[in-house]
Parts: sequence; structure tokens; C-alpha cells
Amino acid sequence: MKKTLLAASLFAIAVTAQAQSATYSVDPTHTFVTFEAKHFGTSTNRGRFDRKEGTITFDRSAKTGKAEITIDTSSINTGVMPFDGHLKSKDFFNAAAFPTATFSGDKFTFSGDKVTAVAGTLTLLGKTQPATLTASNFNCFDHPMLKREVCGGDFETTIQRSTYGMTYGVPGIPDNIRLLIQIEAVKQ
Amino acid sequence: MGLASSSALAVDPPAAADQRPATAAAPSAAAAASAASAALQPYALDAGHTAVHWEVLHMGTSTIRGRFERAAGAVAFDAAARQIDIGITIDAASVSTGLGAFDTLLKGASLLAVKAHPQAFFTSRRATWDGVVPREIHGEITLRGVSQPLTLRASRWKCGLNLLFRREVCGGDFDAVLKRSDFGMTLALGFAADEVQLRVQVEAVRGESSR
Repeated sequence: MKKTLLAASLFAIAVTAQAQSATYSVDPTHTFVTFEAKHFGTSTNRGRFDRKEGTITFDRSAKTGKAEITIDTSSINTGVMPFDGHLKSKDFFNAAAFPTATFSGDKFTFSGDKVTAVAGTLTLLGKTQPATLTASNFNCFDHPMLKREVCGGDFETTIQRSTYGMTYGVPGIPDNIRLLIQIEAVKQ
Repeated sequence: MGLASSSALAVDPPAAADQRPATAAAPSAAAAASAASAALQPYALDAGHTAVHWEVLHMGTSTIRGRFERAAGAVAFDAAARQIDIGITIDAASVSTGLGAFDTLLKGASLLAVKAHPQAFFTSRRATWDGVVPREIHGEITLRGVSQPLTLRASRWKCGLNLLFRREVCGGDFDAVLKRSDFGMTLALGFAADEVQLRVQVEAVRGESSR
């Protein structure tokens, strides 16, 4: 009887915890990292990473969360094949030696129940540096086809690539690279 | 234009090893800039640095991005006389989002209808200028067989000598907004916004018919 009660109360705690902190799986069809690099101060070169995965947990009442997003560096895609080849080489992402880049965020900033920033670290070329993603959009909605809650938004940050040891072409090829991050994650 | 003394437009990363100090190019770039003001000069789009990117808000939440990978055309302009003549053709089937199924949907009859309308066009012969720098390009876009006026706002427009091509290159970013419903693309308006933000990267090489 005692055991049953204990189990029941543990179950109740688990259910309560689940109700507040939810896990969301990153929807790869609505999650992209796009980079923007000024080409000698004039036009903007853009590219994206086509393969990524990740999990986000967040608790709107406790205003806490965790995000872990991993990008396949060899999936970089600019639409210009020789450029992609060079970006994957040792001069830039060194994708053979460092096949992934990871953002781990554990400091969520909220305004009401909307996430406005996620601070954490970015690991690139095996080096880990602090990084903060700032939201320009954030929203949750009940997906009419998935029949689940989806949360997501637009985030951006600017990284200084030389701090990760990616120094090729600096400063002619700019050191500061803007990252535009589209993210949507489906409640599990 | 002031640019020649500070930086020459240089090559893209794959060839950046050939890059030389920008100052070496300054006199030639200045000469090219002054010669350019003599008459309407032809420029050809540099395919490696010309791309039409677009952005659409999904479910009022996050921004879907895609691009057209193939654009060709010619630009002629005379900055001193404030004259331009632009004719750009975009391969509608070169749309790319990183998602094969989405690309197929975009190319289909209800959206870009690339079989019936394989090309999109942008033409313009009118700009507003700030000195020798174009600020707004007023033209017409033809998409899915429908033509509508479109104004591109220019930023970071610069001209300089490209050390790889040994020719003057001009380039910048051009932004515009259109409504996809104006072109008959009304599929899934409840999911993805009507408003489409265009972000166009352009670099063009002087005096070539094509690249």
C-alpha cells in the first residue's frame, strides 16, 4: 500500500513536471542556419546548412530551457559548387576533421511567455565560444496537420570566425559573419 | 567614387589565393570609374555572386528562406547621366530551399508553374540616384507569366577593379517586397505569408557579353 502511494505520488510529480517543462524536437524542414558574409563591402554572399538536428526543452512558467542543435558542416550549400568545396576545406570548416558544429543554449530569456534570447556556447572547428542567439520572432501554435504544438521563431547572432581559428582571408573575407536561424520544434 | 583608394572588389573565396594588395589596383579602378561615366556601359552578371534569395514568414512564426540559383542578364548604366538599362532572366526551376519535396511543390502548377513559365524576368530603365549611387531601381517583374511593377532598394553599391577578371566590377544588395497573390500564387496562404521579401545579391562585370 505504501509502495503504491509512493508510486502514485511520484507519478503525480512526474505528470506535473511534464506539464510545465516540455520537450520539442527540431523540425528539420523548418529549421535552417543561413550565413551572410559581405563580399568586399558590397554584395552579400549567402549560404545555408542543409542537414541539422536538435532537441529543445523549455518551461514557459519557470522561464528556463535547454537547446542543443547540431549542424552537419559538410551540408553547407551556397548554390555555387566551387564555393561549397572551398568552404568545406581546411581553409574554412575543415568538414573532414570537424563534421559537426553545435550550439548548446542553457540561458533562456523571456518576455512574458515568449523567448527573446538564448545564450550558450557554439562549438566550431573543435573550439567552444560563448554565443547568444537573439529572437526577432517567437511564437507557438497548434499545428493543424501534426495535431501538436509547434514553437519556433527567427534568431540571429554574429560570430567572429577568427575566434574559432577560421582565419582564412581575414579581413578581405570578413571576420564577422551573420547567422540567421529559422527554427521550429514539435512538442513530443 | 572613393572606393578605388580603399578597396578593390576582389575575387570569390575559391580564387582568393590570387588576391593581391588592393592598393595596387587603385589607379586603374579610378580610371575605369571615370571612363564609366562617359556613356552607358554594359556589364554582365557574375553568376558566382548573383543570387535571388527570398523570405516568407511561416505560420506567423519563423522565416522560410529559398533562392533561385540561376540568373543571367545584362546591366548597362551611366552613373553620371543617371541612366540604367537592366534586363535579367531568372530560371524559375532553379528554386532551391534545401528541401527536395518543398522545391517540387514550389515548381508545381499552383505556385511557380515552371513548366508553363520557365523564366521570370526583371527589367528596368529608371532609377533614383544619390550622386552616382543608385538608391532605388524602378522596374517590372514578370513571374508566372504575370507582370507587376517592382522597386528594388539598393544598399552597399560599389564599383571597383576585380583583380581576377582585370575588369571593373560593380555590385550591391537589392531588396524588394512583393505579394505572391499578385502573381496568382495563393496556395496555402493560411500557412505561409502573402508577402515575400526578396534579397538580391548582384555583381556585374564591365564589358562582357556573358559570364
